[in-house]
Amino acid sequence: MSDSSSSHDSPPPPAITGVSEPPVANDSDTNAKCQTALQSLSSIVTTATIPPTISLLLEDNAVSAAISSLLQLPDSGAGDNNLCRWLYDTFQSSEPQLQLLVLRFVPLIAGLYLSRVPLRQPQAGFEAVLLALYAHETTSRAGQAVTVNIPDLSHASIYHESKGPAKNNSTCLNIAVISSTLDPHGTVRSTRRARIVGVALELYYGKISMMPRESKLNFCESCEKWAGQNGEREEEEQPRGLIPEEESVAVGGRSEKDSGRIPLPWELVQPILRILGHCLMGMKGEDREVCEAASKACQSLYLRSLHDINPKAILATGSLLRLREMALDPKNQVDHTEISSDNVLSV
Amino acid sequence: MLGDQSSELSENNGESESPTLRLCANGACMKTTEVEAKLDEGNIQDAESSLREGLSLNSEEARALLGRLEYQRGNVEGALRVFEGIDLQAAIQRLQVSAPPPEKPSTKKKVPREQPQQSASQHAANLVLEAIYLKAKSLQKLGRTTEAAQECKSVLDSVEKIFQQGIPDAQVDTRLQETVSHAVELLPALWKESGDYQEAISAYRRALLSQWSLDNDSCARVQKDFAVFLLHSGVEASPPSLGSQVEGSYVPRNNLEEAILLLMILLKKFNQGKAKWDPSVIEHLTFGLSLCSQTSVLAKQLEEVMPGVFSRVERWNSLALCYSAAGQTSAAVNLLRKSLHKHEQPDDLVALLLASKLCSEEPSLAGEGAGYAQRAVNNAQGMDEHLKGVGFRMLGLCLGKQAKVPTSDFERSRLQSESLKALDGAIAFEHNNPDLIFELGVQYAEQRNLKAASRYAKEFIDATGGSVLKGWRFLALVLSAQQRFSEAEVVTDAALDETAKWDQGPLLRLKAKLKISQSNPTEAVETYRYLLALVQAQRKSFGPLRTLSQMEEDKVNEFEVWHGLAYLYSSLSHWNDVEVCLKKAGELKQYSASMLHTEGKNQNTLLTTLLTSLCINMLIFDESSVPCKVAVGALLSERGKEHQPTLPVARSLLSDALRIDPTNRKAWYYLGLVHKYDGRIADATDCFQAASMLEESDPIESFSTIL
Repeated sequence: MSDSSSSHDSPPPPAITGVSEPPVANDSDTNAKCQTALQSLSSIVTTATIPPTISLLLEDNAVSAAISSLLQLPDSGAGDNNLCRWLYDTFQSSEPQLQLLVLRFVPLIAGLYLSRVPLRQPQAGFEAVLLALYAHETTSRAGQAVTVNIPDLSHASIYHESKGPAKNNSTCLNIAVISSTLDPHGTVRSTRRARIVGVALELYYGKISMMPRESKLNFCESCEKWAGQNGEREEEEQPRGLIPEEESVAVGGRSEKDSGRIPLPWELVQPILRILGHCLMGMKGEDREVCEAASKACQSLYLRSLHDINPKAILATGSLLRLREMALDPKNQVDHTEISSDNVLSV
Repeated sequence: MLGDQSSELSENNGESESPTLRLCANGACMKTTEVEAKLDEGNIQDAESSLREGLSLNSEEARALLGRLEYQRGNVEGALRVFEGIDLQAAIQRLQVSAPPPEKPSTKKKVPREQPQQSASQHAANLVLEAIYLKAKSLQKLGRTTEAAQECKSVLDSVEKIFQQGIPDAQVDTRLQETVSHAVELLPALWKESGDYQEAISAYRRALLSQWSLDNDSCARVQKDFAVFLLHSGVEASPPSLGSQVEGSYVPRNNLEEAILLLMILLKKFNQGKAKWDPSVIEHLTFGLSLCSQTSVLAKQLEEVMPGVFSRVERWNSLALCYSAAGQTSAAVNLLRKSLHKHEQPDDLVALLLASKLCSEEPSLAGEGAGYAQRAVNNAQGMDEHLKGVGFRMLGLCLGKQAKVPTSDFERSRLQSESLKALDGAIAFEHNNPDLIFELGVQYAEQRNLKAASRYAKEFIDATGGSVLKGWRFLALVLSAQQRFSEAEVVTDAALDETAKWDQGPLLRLKAKLKISQSNPTEAVETYRYLLALVQAQRKSFGPLRTLSQMEEDKVNEFEVWHGLAYLYSSLSHWNDVEVCLKKAGELKQYSASMLHTEGKNQNTLLTTLLTSLCINMLIFDESSVPCKVAVGALLSERGKEHQPTLPVARSLLSDALRIDPTNRKAWYYLGLVHKYDGRIADATDCFQAASMLEESDPIESFSTIL
């Protein structure tokens, strides 16, 4: 755990395969850890062949799909679940590469975990993984809050000059808390559940540019379930207890009331919105499927925030939806870097 | 500009327009058909030589023109082939030599004599730079973004090398400036596309912090793109380098700060008319500031937006959302009143729901809120049918709150039953909304239907998986009202298990009171001591940055704890301890009716007169405080045993208190005493009966403390 904090502070590697992390641990040690993780995974995932290296594994869709379907089994979150144990151990290895691998499944784990809470299933396995993420974040920022100074244009900045009288630089800026202080938790107390999952999502967002698209799609699906607004407004009249057949089968038929709708306090909504914002506007290339999934999730969350009459969430989700609309408007799809095409070409 | 783009779009669709293209240079013009034919045959050499002859160009010029022709025809591969045939690096080297020598740094740029020479070199420079730029564009279109970015970067590097003292802005060639601006804007986009985020960040900063003489609109576009990148890429940018910092100026430390700064600057530019309004900027800023929970800052930004951009109703409604998220309820309600006026948009559902919610929090506004909620119910149709349940829920909440405003008993019970009806109506729409279940439970509890209340309390805990603290507290209170103290304690203990240390205050207070109710004062004292230690530790260690997630509205204050402990000791007749506790409490708050009440009991009649006057002062400060009224009333009625004249005052205070809170057991009890001392035995009996009935269903803390 001790060296993880130093690697956390370094700028993230530029690409998925970037191994440019500062070599804190020596290479052979890293390799050994990775090999152990790969070997133990191969005893859990039997339906797909495990690739020989971690960076290949990160992008291996077959293995990810196999892990995902294992996670979706009805009792996957139990304390004695092998996969949960593997995820826990893998994250605890404090190898950045291996941690990415665990983070990749955070959307699925968080989604299943929160939606299963009302079912009173044992979920010690999921909780252990989430607590490991929480503990990692708590250590790496020493429990401190993450804050932002809201700029005030009457101070000159690197990007603008201020004509106003030069104010004392120490004038108090507006301090906003992005993520409050973290207390260590050894267990998931139910009143802290949202915060612990929220921190796991913050961690996920921190590495989101390295996450594969399937992981983001998982996340968008989870959001829709959490919001519990079933997307389309017209269908709202149906009682929400009626969920699609295959879902209730997936959870072993024991959950008719599992609509997945969960309480959404701000400590969850905030990281959710950041991730959705990335899926809508921050990906390096346009990925229509992810964009559409994210905008559906946004739509559900917008409706949910109307139902909760939560002004902050209405503002944030509403603006995401309007931005999406603007992006789809052909009027706004002008390439300003294109040269003007005159009919007369001259030197 | 727009005209250009539309022709561009149609041009990309096909080459049908190409016959109208002409090539011009050195005063001569020629049609492109012949050249194009040669190009189509793949014969670049021939095409080049026909251009050189026809337009008297040198080889480089001819190539550049050909490349542009190919590019404009949409044949990017062909364009790339042509551009690869030019030795661009050599051309740049030459330009650097011919560029104005840097050893004349004192030269003022605007010396007219230099103009011809300068424009000649600019012209040559543009020819080369445009060629490299188009090469980058061609590579981009072929999906070779990394190479494209490198080419594009070399455009900017070259500009910096050739014009070491900046491009002389007075006489800059417009085409050169255009190429430079394009390259500045394209480079970060290319790095972003290629996935090289760190390069993208430095390209954005290079674009914004170096002197490229960008026009306002393209600068605004780069600023916006960068802000969006910072907000959403998920890549943490390291703070800007020291070199770009001017002494004393504000330097953003992280992505959000930098993004918000840029968006604010953009908005200011729009407001000053320096750039064309871009509606996405305010949306990005809304997103960013909401994430930081800084909606009051957002409100300020919205207020500064030029009139005419938003309709006034739109503006009022957004502002109301901002203010209500920032906790400025009355400002929000005032704005919503305007926008819901019959001449504006009286049927706007979101505004109606928000208004009713805000009104439901304030007894004096609850009646108005019920009106909004009813309108929301009526208007929730078609696509918005799903919001009908929310309307009903708000209606129920408003009516419930309205029932707390002193009116007649008849009116009160009418409001209460209508409130229940509305909440029941809501649950038909939203049977799985835990908040609604909770509110329904509290409503039942306040009407002393404890069975229903406890059912809903349990349902709420199930539905939320015990994650909401007030659910636990509510169940414990309902159980205590049912006089099931030991069960209430079990629930409280379970809740303590599910709560982190810092949030345990209200639960410990509840537990202490439960211990007292079970006549277990020693353990109650223990619990109070623990609570006290917690509260004091909290006071010492909490900086402003700790937000107590669920505790904000319900913090246990230290004063209350000392006071509770004093009360407990006084019931044990430990007068010394009482005195210590009261002294501690007194240090925290100078006047408090209920504290004086305890003190009065302690020292008995000696101070009573003084206390009474102090208490009356208190009432002046806080006219509607029921506990205050009851406390003073109780004092006066006890004193009335020997001093008849105080009884009418006591009576009116207590009746007043009962008008506001008819379920206040103590008020009934002391009113009974007043009647008794006054000799109205029948009235006294009624009051005592009411008090004893209420005692059987009295929660250990008022239900209204948790909603």
